Amino acid sequence: MVSGPLPWLLPAVGVLGLFYLYPILEAVRLAFTDARLFDTETQLSMRSLGSMVGSSTLGVILRNTLTYTVASVVGQIALGLAIALLVVRAERARLRGTLVLRTIVLAAWVIPAIANGIIWQLLFSEAPFGAINSALRLMGASPVAWLSDPSNAMTSAVIATIWQGTAYSMILLYAALKTIDPALYEAAAIDNARPWERLWFITLPHLRAALVVNAILILIMTLNMFDTILALTGGGPGRATEILSLYAYGTVFQNFELGRGAALSMLLLIISLGLTMVLIALLPRDRR
Amino acid sequence: MVRSRAERMADWAVYAAMLVLALAFLLPVLWLASLSVRTQAEVFMGAARFIPEAPTLDNFARVLRDGGFQSYIWNTVKLASLGAAGAVALAAPAAYALSRMAFRGKGALMLGILSVQMVSGLVVLIPLYRFMDRLGLLESHFGTTLLYIAAGIPVTIWLLKVSFDAVPRSLDDAAAIDGLSRVESFALITLPLALPGLISAFILNLILNWSQFLIPFIMLSADDKWPISVAIFRFAGSTSAATTQLLAAACLLAILPALAIFVLLQRYILAALTAGAVKE
Repeated sequence: MVSGPLPWLLPAVGVLGLFYLYPILEAVRLAFTDARLFDTETQLSMRSLGSMVGSSTLGVILRNTLTYTVASVVGQIALGLAIALLVVRAERARLRGTLVLRTIVLAAWVIPAIANGIIWQLLFSEAPFGAINSALRLMGASPVAWLSDPSNAMTSAVIATIWQGTAYSMILLYAALKTIDPALYEAAAIDNARPWERLWFITLPHLRAALVVNAILILIMTLNMFDTILALTGGGPGRATEILSLYAYGTVFQNFELGRGAALSMLLLIISLGLTMVLIALLPRDRR
Repeated sequence: MVRSRAERMADWAVYAAMLVLALAFLLPVLWLASLSVRTQAEVFMGAARFIPEAPTLDNFARVLRDGGFQSYIWNTVKLASLGAAGAVALAAPAAYALSRMAFRGKGALMLGILSVQMVSGLVVLIPLYRFMDRLGLLESHFGTTLLYIAAGIPVTIWLLKVSFDAVPRSLDDAAAIDGLSRVESFALITLPLALPGLISAFILNLILNWSQFLIPFIMLSADDKWPISVAIFRFAGSTSAATTQLLAAACLLAILPALAIFVLLQRYILAALTAGAVKE
């Protein structure tokens, strides 16, 4: 009979080993070779790592990744928290429509990221059918080069990302807000606490664990984002919105530089793990 | 309860903010819908024809009649549902072991499974491309489904462990006294009682798989194997301004099934989304 845990764990752990652990080890090995995608002959070489670190492009890519990730993560958490607070406030006053608002916001999260990129491209488009620019023209304002101007393109990518991702923060923070003891707010009301004092001294400290967990999850999703930017800007104009994941993809599947692409993907993994560690250190002690 | 004047003013402000937010989240999809029912002439009139004067369903008819589109949808249904079923089937016994059995290295294993979620699909797909090619699994739905399953397993184990934890252990003990083996007690007692959790996990996988782009984008190069996500991206790249209304219709059709599943089964999805991240 089946007794130990091994037979229970083996199918799932086996699949993860084959499709996650093995490829990661293989990527580490490839990073130390000069492998190309369609050549089987590879030689141990530091050329991939050397050309990755030495290229001036990497600096641009890392700066883009930093800008995109920080702006998107902060935006998603701030907007998600604002909507969660608004919904809780509306529920307390027994206002109608909270469920409708929550459903609409969550629906954006269900839209595939690749479709999200296409939708925002139609919205930002500078052609006559671009929603935002044609609305601006109707109001007599001058149109904006949302996607073709390198200095605007990143803002546009961040807006599209926040629009889709906010639901996730909203729902996690909403669930966390519901666990705060209402007696704390009643006590605050007796002490005549101002709204911002309630937010700063009661709500935010109680949300600390939820905010950190939320930040970790969104950070990982944003760092690894590929679909939305690919469909919206393709990384352009030039390299204006090219982040590390797009750069690694292009290196392997368009330039066929497998060794260098593997090194770039390792860099992505190391950044993800490093930032996760930093955030875990911010968790309250009992939740670590 | 009598509400003060200040409170009623605040209520109106809350209403106004809710309305603005609802519009901000609704308008992009409404714009897509608006483009999808326009004629080519009205597409070029931009925001002035947000509500078209001559709405038409021609664009949908043209997209739906297209044999390619039907095959994309079928491919998506196949990959998404097989991937979701496979992830739940493989994750369930593992989640049961993590929920019910004590063994050495359990903490490390759980941490390991959690950290797999931190790994971008791209990181593993770069080396996997050649590996799958050598196994003859590149360009095949079978190989692609395996990767969907692998991608779904970590979060599914996590969700199912939470719902198995909620089934009282005393039922296992009672089953053991009645002479049921572990496997019987898992299949006959724990699984049926954890059914809502299993459904949540399956549906979350289904929605994530419907959106899955990177795996099929890298694994499948033949048009007739593509799921809808890859197809609309390729279509968007090949369309000109003159076919924007068709792109909008195809894009809307691609997101509608996911939206429908979501609206119908919102309860399960919310349970799945919050189960892993918010304990207590």
